[in-house]
Amino acid sequence: MNIKQARKIDFTGQLPGFQHFPRFNDEVTRFLRLGGSEKTVVVVDRAVGPKLAAPSLVVDHLNLTGCCPLVGPNDPCGPRFPVVNGIYVAECESLETALPQLGKIVAAGLKDGVEPDADEVQLLKFLGADAFCYNTVPTMIVAAHAGYKVLALLLPQAAKATKELVEALS
Amino acid sequence: MTSKETLAKPVDEATAFLKKVCKKVPRVAVVLGSGVSVLEALEECSTYPFHEVFGVSPSVEGHSGSLTVGRLPCAGSDELVAVFRGRFHLYEGHDWSVVTLPAQVVANWGIPYYLLTNAAGGLNRTFSVGDLMVLTGYRDHLGPELRQTGLLPALSAPPTNVCNRLSDLLLATGKKLEAERSDFHPLRQGVYAALLGPNYETMAEIEMLRRLKADAVGMSTVPELRTVKGTQTMAAAVSVITNVWREDQPMGGHEEVLEASKKASARLDLLFRTVIGQL
Repeated sequence: MNIKQARKIDFTGQLPGFQHFPRFNDEVTRFLRLGGSEKTVVVVDRAVGPKLAAPSLVVDHLNLTGCCPLVGPNDPCGPRFPVVNGIYVAECESLETALPQLGKIVAAGLKDGVEPDADEVQLLKFLGADAFCYNTVPTMIVAAHAGYKVLALLLPQAAKATKELVEALS
Repeated sequence: MTSKETLAKPVDEATAFLKKVCKKVPRVAVVLGSGVSVLEALEECSTYPFHEVFGVSPSVEGHSGSLTVGRLPCAGSDELVAVFRGRFHLYEGHDWSVVTLPAQVVANWGIPYYLLTNAAGGLNRTFSVGDLMVLTGYRDHLGPELRQTGLLPALSAPPTNVCNRLSDLLLATGKKLEAERSDFHPLRQGVYAALLGPNYETMAEIEMLRRLKADAVGMSTVPELRTVKGTQTMAAAVSVITNVWREDQPMGGHEEVLEASKKASARLDLLFRTVIGQL
């Protein structure tokens, strides 16, 4: 994947050269749908989870938001019933070189603001999720519908973007 | 409320329209999901586009949106059958009130039996494309209340049981047909998981639903089942298994769903005609 050419979305507010959004909303959808011929996007978001001690690439997701940004009349940028498998970019040499601890996880997308209790965290684990986040999953669905491949990087809540990370994503 | 919803007729108005154009209350209502084609060639039948009955139409290819009321020879000479071709879906952007409008009308009109069909992805690895699965339960992952909470409450809940006399009759009739005919495959039974859509499931979501013991997954039917629960209308549902999710096979799209539904329709037609003849 050529990160230099990719469109870039940051929900952490830390990454230079990225389009910053405080959360997933219609502006994110418009940003992706107004993209040109470049059909790869890098998405960086915060996440929480016992397996998320280091930045991790998303390899698959569970949409547990109870919503879908594609509900409503179909936008002609993609099919009515998009297949959203095989969309995540799970290999990225520059990131793996810069971040030796880089993990690979399945992310659960939760409704914005929902904080799972201990039982629900156990349930998420049982259902296959390694971590949960709020913005990546709806962003990915819109991106998949519009024909993008997605490199989704989740940062632990307290993690700061290191110089190595910023350079790897530049 | 969207502009589509403001065009939708109230339940009483839609029911009054049908009472006016039909001589008597049908014995059975049948809903045909994506690509499902059964109970063709009703006798002395009349067809009404959904927009004429309900004031709104579905917007999805494969869901034409019409209601045909007529006589089915096996159902007795005086009995009417109402066949709904297509349905409204939440993923189209319709409110719950519109998605459930046909079911509300079926109950309000006093139709005693309600047979629902859908095209579904197979989660149970023993299923094959073209199998017919009678629903014994469902998981509701699309109810409007979940927009406020997300899916965590739904994931914690057990499936809702939908076994009743009508689903029992479907299964018993299936066994009889299986014994009598070599071309009638055994019916499956299981739990249907209803997801909002319109995108198909990820492999992680498929694995999640398998861990929740769901056997098939689709984007419909649960609103109708929820709506007629507690009314005089008894409902049962059959899923046409249009693909079986396997890790080593690519996922198909809507065209594959429509094609598989067509192929299974002949067996479903025989099942429904035989069951309706016993009601």
